[in-house]
Amino acid sequence: MHMPKMSNNSSSAYNGKVVESYLKAIQLIDDRVTPFLGKATTRALVQGAARRVSNQYSFLQFLEKMPYTEVVPAVITEQWGSISPQELSEGLQALLQECFVGLRELTGELIGPPLLDEVTRQLEQMP
Amino acid sequence: MESSVQPQSQATESAYRSFILQNGDGDRIIALRQQMEQLNTIGKRFVSANDRFQVHRALLATLQELYSFSACSILLKGEPFELSIIPRYPLTSSFLQAMVQSIARAANVVDFPGVSAQELAVVADLDAPDDLASPSGEFPSVATKIGDFLNIPLTVESRIIGILSLFDEHEGTFDTDLLQLTTMIADYAAVALENVRLRERERALWEEAEHERHRLELIISSMAEGLLITNAQGAITSLNSSARHLFALVEVDLQQMPPISLHQLAGTTRVNWLLDFAEIVDQALAGNIVMHKELIAGTNNETVPLTLSISAAPLHDANQTITRPIGVVAVINDITSIKQIEKLKDEFVSIVSHELRTPLTAIKGYTQHLIRRIERRLREVRQKQQSTGTLVEFPESYDLRSLNIVQSETEHLERLVSDLLDLSRVQWGELGLQYSSFYLADVLTERVRLAQVSAEQQAILLDIQTQDSRIVADQLRVGQILGNILDNAIKFSLPGKQVTVKLQEQDEEYLISVIDQGIGVSPESFDHIFERFYRIRNIASRQYSGIGMGLFVAKAIVEAHGGHINFSSNQGGGSTFYFTLPRVPRTSKLVM
Repeated sequence: MHMPKMSNNSSSAYNGKVVESYLKAIQLIDDRVTPFLGKATTRALVQGAARRVSNQYSFLQFLEKMPYTEVVPAVITEQWGSISPQELSEGLQALLQECFVGLRELTGELIGPPLLDEVTRQLEQMP
Repeated sequence: MESSVQPQSQATESAYRSFILQNGDGDRIIALRQQMEQLNTIGKRFVSANDRFQVHRALLATLQELYSFSACSILLKGEPFELSIIPRYPLTSSFLQAMVQSIARAANVVDFPGVSAQELAVVADLDAPDDLASPSGEFPSVATKIGDFLNIPLTVESRIIGILSLFDEHEGTFDTDLLQLTTMIADYAAVALENVRLRERERALWEEAEHERHRLELIISSMAEGLLITNAQGAITSLNSSARHLFALVEVDLQQMPPISLHQLAGTTRVNWLLDFAEIVDQALAGNIVMHKELIAGTNNETVPLTLSISAAPLHDANQTITRPIGVVAVINDITSIKQIEKLKDEFVSIVSHELRTPLTAIKGYTQHLIRRIERRLREVRQKQQSTGTLVEFPESYDLRSLNIVQSETEHLERLVSDLLDLSRVQWGELGLQYSSFYLADVLTERVRLAQVSAEQQAILLDIQTQDSRIVADQLRVGQILGNILDNAIKFSLPGKQVTVKLQEQDEEYLISVIDQGIGVSPESFDHIFERFYRIRNIASRQYSGIGMGLFVAKAIVEAHGGHINFSSNQGGGSTFYFTLPRVPRTSKLVM
């Protein structure tokens, strides 16, 4: 699975924009998957993905317990304020990839591939 | 397709169709009705499922109507996990293995506790439809390889309780429409499975409660103590066999009676102690706990009558919705055998005390005689020495001191013997006070004087503060009270400390206080200090002599006079024991 990488910006203020882009991508997955599998399943997918990537990206560990919809600017500052944009971008990208891995285990190739294309396009359009 | 909502008749159906068509939009409404009928059928299938196997049947029936597949499975969370595999037709073991691996991977990508394919293979249960059953247990291999699959989480109220999986040997079996339909069916199955789980839990809890109830019944029925439960009106609602036996001893057969209040029972059976029992129950119904209340249930002409010890406590509603007790639980102990032993012991103590008193009287008499002789002789010698002007310490003065100690100790021993004799008198209410009019201050002063020698031996300073105090009481017994309290005050004081006896008049009674600077009373002794044979042990590694009767007898005498006795701890150490005596007796039974 190939995902476009966000451009690297050393400014810590850039973290908010990186997070916002990926949260929107996850929101898009949520919107598309919910009609097929329900809201609870989508949330569980994200939490399961966070569990699998938190070994490598420990700053994503809190997402195992907290729904991604509750990630507001205050949480971003608290949890990710000290993470470099590069690392944050890589971690969120890994999270997104794991969401698609999860989706594939649930529904095979039914809804994952077209959704991946849509998410990729959205991320590419992000500033 | 199966449908549980069928038109009553062909005529009704055609009338319905013509109504719909006349009103336009007919096809849409007919389609809607068919969908609703189908949903209704599905719903009924799942709602009527009483166990998980019936849910499996309902699921299989519903899914089969929609599309073709090789097998489905249900994985449920729990300790351990439960995995039911429901094949539509025979599957190979490699197909089954691939199924289990797919289910394990799906479980691990959603918020599911970690589980491996090996673990699932161990718990997997093959719930094959009946038409697949084969006497040999072997099926011809048909489905060998998974072509397509769906793993749909089962959710109840946003909580994932398991995973519904569908597998088919052909590729491209499932599309997004089927996925949506299957998710809807999964919701039905999830609710049905949750209902089954709740019912099973309810049944397990009920069985557990029944088991506990049965166990409790066995314990209660095998208790040696009688146990009795009343309702809020004080009527006996249940009692164990021991309680029934105790009632039977006094010829009250509760088995033959409807629920009846103890007050009514007392009235109908003329058993006197039942009224006292009813009052104990009343106290518990008022919210109080009654501990070890003794009731004489036998007749007075028996050597030791049947004696019951009753404890009662209020029963409150388990939900605490009602503040008033909903009943009383009472425990009844037959303590007659204890009373028999106590009586034997009291008789023994009484006999021994009488036997000790005779030689003690002789020792005391001869000691007093010797003291007087030596005092007389010393007076004569001192008069002679004063006349000759030579003052020499005479050896008899040392003898006199020794004899005074003998006399003091004899009196102490006499008091102990008196206390022992009083024990049985107090026990059986035969104290027999001899009332007379006298000055209380004189009696107290005399008692302090008698204790002086013992106090001097321990370098304790005795002080007394009195006032005019005429009283009608038993003079000897009043002296005995102070003597017993003073003995303790001296015994538990350290050398150089002071013991003060204070007499005060208040209202219609006198207050006598004995204030010491001793070791005080430890909190664990508070409730027992006036009990018979209660002794303070091992305070600061020191053993104190005594038989634990002094305060018990003192209390009995004070209460027989209509007074009361108690103690308080002094600031800075020591304690004050105080008792009151009415100036004139409150009872009319005077023996002057």
